[in-house]
Amino acid sequence: MVMAINFDQVGFTYQPNTPFATPGLHDVSFEIPEGKFTAVIGHTGSGKSTMVQHLDGLVLPTTGKVTMGNQVVTAETKLKELNEMRAHIGLVFQFPEAQLFEQTVLKDVMFGPKNFGASEEDAQAAAEAALKKVAISPDLYERSPFELSGGQMRRVAIAGVIAMAPDLLILDEPTAGLDPQGQRELMTLFTDLQKERQITVVLITHQMEYVAQYADHVVVFEHGTVVKSGAPATIFADEEWLHEKQLDVPAAKQFADALAEKGIQLHNVLDIDQLADQLAARLNGEVDHV
Amino acid sequence: MFSNMIIGRYMPGDSWIHRLDARTKLVLSIAFIFVVFFANNVIGYALAGAFTLLAIMMTGLGVGVFLRGLRPLVLLMLITTLLQLFFVQTGDVLVHWAFIKITTDGVINSVIVFVRFMLIIMFSTILTLTTQPLAVADGMESLLKPFKKFGLPVSELALMLSIALRFVPTLMDEAQSIMNAQRARGVRFNEGSLMARIKSFVPLLIPLFVNAIKRAIELGDAMEARGYRGGDQRTKYRVLTWHTRDTIAIIGFVIFTVALIATRWIM
Ligand SMILES: Nc1ncnc2c1ncn2[C@@H]1O[C@H](COP(=O)(O)OP(=O)(O)O)[C@@H](O)[C@H]1O
Ligand SMILES: [Mg+2]
Repeated sequence: MVMAINFDQVGFTYQPNTPFATPGLHDVSFEIPEGKFTAVIGHTGSGKSTMVQHLDGLVLPTTGKVTMGNQVVTAETKLKELNEMRAHIGLVFQFPEAQLFEQTVLKDVMFGPKNFGASEEDAQAAAEAALKKVAISPDLYERSPFELSGGQMRRVAIAGVIAMAPDLLILDEPTAGLDPQGQRELMTLFTDLQKERQITVVLITHQMEYVAQYADHVVVFEHGTVVKSGAPATIFADEEWLHEKQLDVPAAKQFADALAEKGIQLHNVLDIDQLADQLAARLNGEVDHV
Repeated sequence: MFSNMIIGRYMPGDSWIHRLDARTKLVLSIAFIFVVFFANNVIGYALAGAFTLLAIMMTGLGVGVFLRGLRPLVLLMLITTLLQLFFVQTGDVLVHWAFIKITTDGVINSVIVFVRFMLIIMFSTILTLTTQPLAVADGMESLLKPFKKFGLPVSELALMLSIALRFVPTLMDEAQSIMNAQRARGVRFNEGSLMARIKSFVPLLIPLFVNAIKRAIELGDAMEARGYRGGDQRTKYRVLTWHTRDTIAIIGFVIFTVALIATRWIM
């Protein structure tokens, strides 16, 4: 299924026409390249989660239009029309463990696939495969999800979305509040999934290290609109601009910049591997001279 | 569906009404429910309506906010009104069709019930729109204090009320986000047969209850950890203070009540 995604002048207001109307998005235009890893960054409250709800047809734009494959979504679209589209989209919400409700871990993971029409056997197979991917061991399958640790609950909830085998996987700060080890494992899982299944991944994160390391494309939100989008190298090139937007620079780039101040110029350093390679090359070079 | 509803919600502001003591507003809102019944003719209802309108305008929130906010309730009010239409059978018969009989008294009664209902809701909405929920809880505690003598656990009730009020918006937000998460997993709320609709709410209600209970336990632990103890020795961070404006508001209301009673003899 083709899933080129395009936002065209999208605006969204929470509770429009009431005294409680809150602007969520305005004049949002950008593209999400198909089959790529796109990172969405921006300050808290900048509209990232609001945008993501448009991607799954959970809300309709107040103005403008969202194009997803051959489905065009505008304010006039009937929400029911989007049920079909949703079967191809996986959305992991912020703190997704809040969505667990079934009696057992396995049943909860089977819930999504079954809702979208999978047979009992297919759903179970998909669920078991997904649970394996998130490293939940089979002896937990029959346990209640409410007996698990916070980290395990998060994994089960993520498995519940992966089991739907989405063509578009959206992750809203999926690693928030996890330990560093757990964060790394999940990030590896997402990138592996993306490569393996050639799906489109949209990741909202505050961790620039991950953006630098994994993203093919970056979209920057500020005050409810997109202020910049492009390749990670382009986004991270202008450090002053990032500081102005209260966004971090990846640690490896900070390191390289600090070295540059001392007169050691490295090029195109965004993640730790690039930094290590270039430093190694430098050090070898010097050693050779001696 | 309920996004337009203004009932039970607070809208910040700095009007004279906003600054009134919560106790004043509570007492007057309750008093109004009874006082409205003094009106027994057009002039009386016009006076009560004018008084309500004056109070609404003094909130500085705009009459439109009230009218739009109460629109969802109009259906409820119309049903009540229609019941009057069918159950009051005295007076001249206007329509007589099969077992349905509509009479003049029925119509008059319906209109009266509708107007009374409308006025009372408008007036109570002024209280909730202009008073912070916690101030309402404090006000109730203060007003109920005399009942402590009779063994009513007033402080505990007020604490329960303020915690409940505090968590209403949190629960609403949480319900919305769980609903979205389940819709993303293919649940179709408000679609299909009645049975399917009821079943679709299970994935919403279970997490909502589990989280609410978890939160209650955490809150209890946090209060205990900080040494919370109920009872008489507790002092308040927000102290309710009586101002001249509260006296003025009470006097204004008394004048209105007297005038309303007087209208009974005008016609
Ligand atoms: N359910 C809601 N009701 C009203 N306003 C909301 C709601 N959710 C988010 N907002 C508002 O929309 C804006 C964007 O929020 P959000 O999309 O959650 O930002 P982010 O995910 O980037 O932190 C914020 O100003 C926020 O207050
Ligand atoms: Mg967010």
